[in-house]
Amino acid sequence: MSFHIEAITVLLNGLQQGAIYILLAVGLSIILGTLKFVNFAHGALYLIGTYAGLLFALEINLTSGLLQEWGYGTLGLDLGYIPALLLVPVVVFVVGLAMERWVVEPFKDRPDTDQILVTFGLAIVVQEVFRIFFGSSSLPFSQPAWAEGAPQVPFLAGIPISSWRYYVILITAVLVAIVYLLVEYTDFGLVVRAGTRDPEMVELLGIRLSRPYIAVFGIGAALAGVAGVVGGPLNPVNPTIGNDILVPAFLTVVIGGVGSIAGATLGGVIFGLTYAILVATFSSWAQVGLYAIAAVILLVRPQGLLGEEGVAP
Amino acid sequence: MSDEPASTAETEAEQGAIAEAIGVWAPRGNEARVMAGTAVVLAVFPFVFARMPVTSGILRGYQSLATLILIWGIFALGFDLLLGYTGLLSFGHAAFWGGAAYAAAVFSQQVSGSPILMVAAGTGFAVLLAWFLGFLSLRRGGIYFAILTLAFAQMLFYMSSSPLAFITGGENGFTGVQTGELLGMVPLEGELPLVLGPLLGTYLYAFVAVITLLCVALGYRILHSPYGMVFRAIRENEQRAEFVGLNVWRYRLMSFILSGFFAGVAGSLFVIHGSYVPLASLYWTTSGEVVIMTVLGGTGSLFGPIVGAGVYLYVENIVSGGHPVDFIAPFWHLILGLVFVVTIWVFPRGIWGFFRDVRDRITGGEE
Repeated sequence: MSFHIEAITVLLNGLQQGAIYILLAVGLSIILGTLKFVNFAHGALYLIGTYAGLLFALEINLTSGLLQEWGYGTLGLDLGYIPALLLVPVVVFVVGLAMERWVVEPFKDRPDTDQILVTFGLAIVVQEVFRIFFGSSSLPFSQPAWAEGAPQVPFLAGIPISSWRYYVILITAVLVAIVYLLVEYTDFGLVVRAGTRDPEMVELLGIRLSRPYIAVFGIGAALAGVAGVVGGPLNPVNPTIGNDILVPAFLTVVIGGVGSIAGATLGGVIFGLTYAILVATFSSWAQVGLYAIAAVILLVRPQGLLGEEGVAP
Repeated sequence: MSDEPASTAETEAEQGAIAEAIGVWAPRGNEARVMAGTAVVLAVFPFVFARMPVTSGILRGYQSLATLILIWGIFALGFDLLLGYTGLLSFGHAAFWGGAAYAAAVFSQQVSGSPILMVAAGTGFAVLLAWFLGFLSLRRGGIYFAILTLAFAQMLFYMSSSPLAFITGGENGFTGVQTGELLGMVPLEGELPLVLGPLLGTYLYAFVAVITLLCVALGYRILHSPYGMVFRAIRENEQRAEFVGLNVWRYRLMSFILSGFFAGVAGSLFVIHGSYVPLASLYWTTSGEVVIMTVLGGTGSLFGPIVGAGVYLYVENIVSGGHPVDFIAPFWHLILGLVFVVTIWVFPRGIWGFFRDVRDRITGGEE
């Protein structure tokens, strides 16, 4: 393989890896920036997204767990990936609304250590529920048949990357753009941004912040759900994936700057590229390098690359 | 004759020094009572748990689990020093537990298998590591602190999983632990002589119990000293502490290091107990486990976290095996998670705090 093809492959792999982080980090970031709520259960929302995607998208063959025992070994739900991509965000959005109402609201005025603890506990509960129903072993979540193999278009034909990875990048770009436009150019976004700066003043102006806030949490959750669907086929699917993705997602937020959509995007790109380049060169150091980069950025610029002082809790 | 006054002065000075030394080490306030109580509990615990006719039958405890509970208890106690007293939530304490475990294990293989030296080596490593990581992660408070500690611990996990695999054994964990005999003559697995045998069981338990007692004493002393008061002051109101002229940053760092010290002691004992260091001891779920134990038992108390460790390990090792009802076995982790969530929600002071509240309600004492 010639050098430039290899370089483009690494670049695209990095972008695709980064895209998953971005989807999670944008959600985490807007939740953290506006509601000042630390959501350690964000990985659990990703987990829900993945399994819901799996159920919607595929004729799945469950190999263990309660569903198997109850005779639902094979579920014929071959609805395809497109409906999954449309339905899962809705499902996880609703989960997010419920979470805002029943978890975030009661914990709003408690210290952020309590918020971290309760969401951490919830993440465990969700993970265990999925373990009970689907078993601990990894389930097959294949890429859709129409997105396997390299796309047959000029420039990209010779690069050994499946179309699915391009879709991941594309979907992420579109969604992040939508969220960005929503926050920056609509009345909804105006209220949310104003609420971030000075919630008391906004309330005094006669605007109820509770509704935009609950929507923000829902949107963040839905993004995590999408991440689950698009990221599902790229990694083994088991109940611990939520746990594994949470730390890099949080680091992406923190290095990008809390509350900044552009920051989360930049953080995700840096993370994805670093990881892909290290995997291609010093693969045993790849994970260490990821954390080292994050640590260095945070030590040099504690508020994150594009973060502003005083936005975060 | 001429030097008599001088020598009197000297002996006086000497006496003064001795008195001062005794003064420093002598128990204060409730300390003697607390220590004696702890010692009694530690002495009867393994008997009641693992050997006494009726209770051990109900509990189905065993000696090794009794030892393990104390080890995790020390870990949780140190963790609570940070979370419960200084108000800092670290998600990276696996670094000190696992780091100390690896350090003690490597030390046993390369230098000496003496259990006491192993504990010293592991703890020393953990303290240095805590100093370094604390220095880096305490630059930001709140969630940043939680995430930074988490990140540094994960970095250590990935370090030992592959780049340092030639030392740590990578995925397989460290298997070459060479624990020697206590003080060069007492095998740790051996049964204690006379009445101590049935009561305490093995030398290993006695060794761990003595260290636990020392750790409780140290923890009690720290928390009831003016120094420990500062920790609480910082948790209650950081700004006010800053305004009265306290160097909040330095106290936080010290609290972090002290907590790393306890984690180091516990991690080293864990190696002596298990003769093996799993790679997972550095993974962030280990940090999560100690968080759960501490919160479950009750933050902001000395014994709560130890109780929490006991409950957690009991559920993990015995309830998960289908005791007392078979039905629980596959759900034990879920139940623990639910209990954890409910605890934070309804009883923020944990099991220990709950019982204290009940006691106060009955006796009408304290508040």
